[in-house]
Amino acid sequence: MKITAKMVLGVLAGAMVLTTLTSCTSTATANDGKHFTIWASGSDNVKVQFEQQVSQFNESQDEYVAELQFITSGTGAESLSSRLIAAYKSGQTNTDYDLIEASDSEMVNYLNQCGEDFFVDVDTASMENYENLNYQPSVGQGMFIPYRGTTVLLAYNSETVPNPPTTTEELYQWIKDNPGRFAYNTPSSGGAGSSFVQTSIYNFLPEEALSSADEKWSEEWDQGFDLLESLHPYMYQSAGKVVYPNKNQGTLDLLANFEIDMCPAWADMVISQKMQGTMPESIQLVQLDPAFTGNLVGFAAPSIGSNSEGAQAFMDYMLSPEAQNIALESMAALPVIDFSLLDAELVKNIESLNISEFRSSSIGDLGTEINERWDREIATLG
Amino acid sequence: MDQERKNKILPYLMLMPAMAIMAIVVIYPIFSCIATSFTQEEAGGFGLENYLYFLADPMQLTNIGYTLAIVLVTVVLAVGIAYLLSIYLRFSNSRVSRWIGKLYLLPRFIPGLVAVNGMITIISNSGLLNRLSRLFGADWQLGLIYDAKGIILMNLWFNIPFATMLMGAAMSAINNSEIEAAKDVGAGKLRIFWKIILPLTYRDIFISATFVFMSNISSFTTPYLMGGNYPTMMGVTMYNLYGNQHFGRSAALSVIMFILSALSAVMYIYVNMRKDQWEKN
Repeated sequence: MKITAKMVLGVLAGAMVLTTLTSCTSTATANDGKHFTIWASGSDNVKVQFEQQVSQFNESQDEYVAELQFITSGTGAESLSSRLIAAYKSGQTNTDYDLIEASDSEMVNYLNQCGEDFFVDVDTASMENYENLNYQPSVGQGMFIPYRGTTVLLAYNSETVPNPPTTTEELYQWIKDNPGRFAYNTPSSGGAGSSFVQTSIYNFLPEEALSSADEKWSEEWDQGFDLLESLHPYMYQSAGKVVYPNKNQGTLDLLANFEIDMCPAWADMVISQKMQGTMPESIQLVQLDPAFTGNLVGFAAPSIGSNSEGAQAFMDYMLSPEAQNIALESMAALPVIDFSLLDAELVKNIESLNISEFRSSSIGDLGTEINERWDREIATLG
Repeated sequence: MDQERKNKILPYLMLMPAMAIMAIVVIYPIFSCIATSFTQEEAGGFGLENYLYFLADPMQLTNIGYTLAIVLVTVVLAVGIAYLLSIYLRFSNSRVSRWIGKLYLLPRFIPGLVAVNGMITIISNSGLLNRLSRLFGADWQLGLIYDAKGIILMNLWFNIPFATMLMGAAMSAINNSEIEAAKDVGAGKLRIFWKIILPLTYRDIFISATFVFMSNISSFTTPYLMGGNYPTMMGVTMYNLYGNQHFGRSAALSVIMFILSALSAVMYIYVNMRKDQWEKN
């Protein structure tokens, strides 16, 4: 068959008519109490997860129809919170911001800027899956419903380290006993290294400091930086010099190649790389006491939305075993419901993990300050 | 409208779209960058604060010195090796030289990120070379990764083909008849090099050096993935400064980079404008 210009034009015209028609239908039915819009952002695996969950949700019941608006990170993801806050402050109501995905740190930001009235209270008693929820968020109780956890853990090679440290003190001792076998990535290049540095500093401070952006806490960092300095000579070395790799993946590559035995790492990165076979089976994860930082990620329904019933139905669905299985399979998200409710085959990858809490950090611009001080004082030690 | 006036305006009209795009994507950002570089972060208003930061801070001075050292070593090695290679390709007619002539441009067609990651898997401390050495009971730790040596090695990989291409063009402009004439009157190989090849090609040595210098002083991917934590090359320093929201300082660093590149461009223009004795008539 020959493809002619006419045929191409025909297809294009057809596509145009179709897209115009679809956009007509979606505007026409925006406020019918049936349709609602979910807003989320992040990298591609988050999107894949939601696409599966939204279609499963829509097929499972007739009362509501969910639509996903996804903003891929790095392409204006910042603007989801900015847009939302701007819409709220300019007094808009009845918008299509029916449900938004946010982490507990982001919730702190929303609540600080817009107040408690920004989100609708959720009627948890009427949510049939709510009793499954194992974790209570530290912020936005009654309006913020977590659906997954994400945290930095200690990743280690179980062949060379049969008895991993379980407390930070044991970890520091292990590092000193095994020079060159531990690494963390530069804190400005990824969350795993940043979490190691932040908790090393904030473990010396009262727990409330970790949720405060108050400048006064920066005066109490010295003890933590002294600790990092004392650990420095025992870190991974190349060409006779201590090196902190760039990026979370940088340390994981060293771990996968057995150049080091231990590093702080995002749980989901290690689990999904094990599922793909790029991370050896012998690499295991353990949570220390006190823990590295992590977040609960969940949903909240802005009061300026137009369909909070639909939003609540979706929050309920996200706590169902089916939705939790999808999150675990597509992005190795840590489930927030009991493992026994989940697909046993999938749980195999995480069953040794028992995350008692997600220690959230929201120190605002102080995080950047820590990174700069680290660049100046630790990276230059040589 | 008469034909003559039309002919005068037409070229400008045709240049307009290109100029307009240049103005938006090149000229405006340059001026905006220069303006940002004088915007003070601490004292507020306009001033030299951001530049003084680079001149006064020993850490930043080390970074700049480190960058210049790596780039200069790269220039000398890349241009030197490429010059010898281009002479070989021009004057040898063996099968090997024909093969090299076909293959030497290949690295230019491999995307930078792929090449850097490929190099890392070979030279890293648990890379291919290390694994091969372990087969024979040794354990080579090359120490190339996270080190200036590795960055230079990678730079050579990128720049030797490029410089060879530039100087190869100059070599092929040398007439065989000139060489043969010199041979006929009894000139040895060394004498032919000093009296004929070098005078005809030295300008291209400087031109390649300029291009290699300019493309390496602002490099980012290689030093980011293969460099250590400190000192860092200027491209990485700028990335860190920008990431930590020091927009004024990172703008000032780009201006400093621009000035360094401009200095090498001056050399390029000088060498190009210079007329040798035998070219004057």
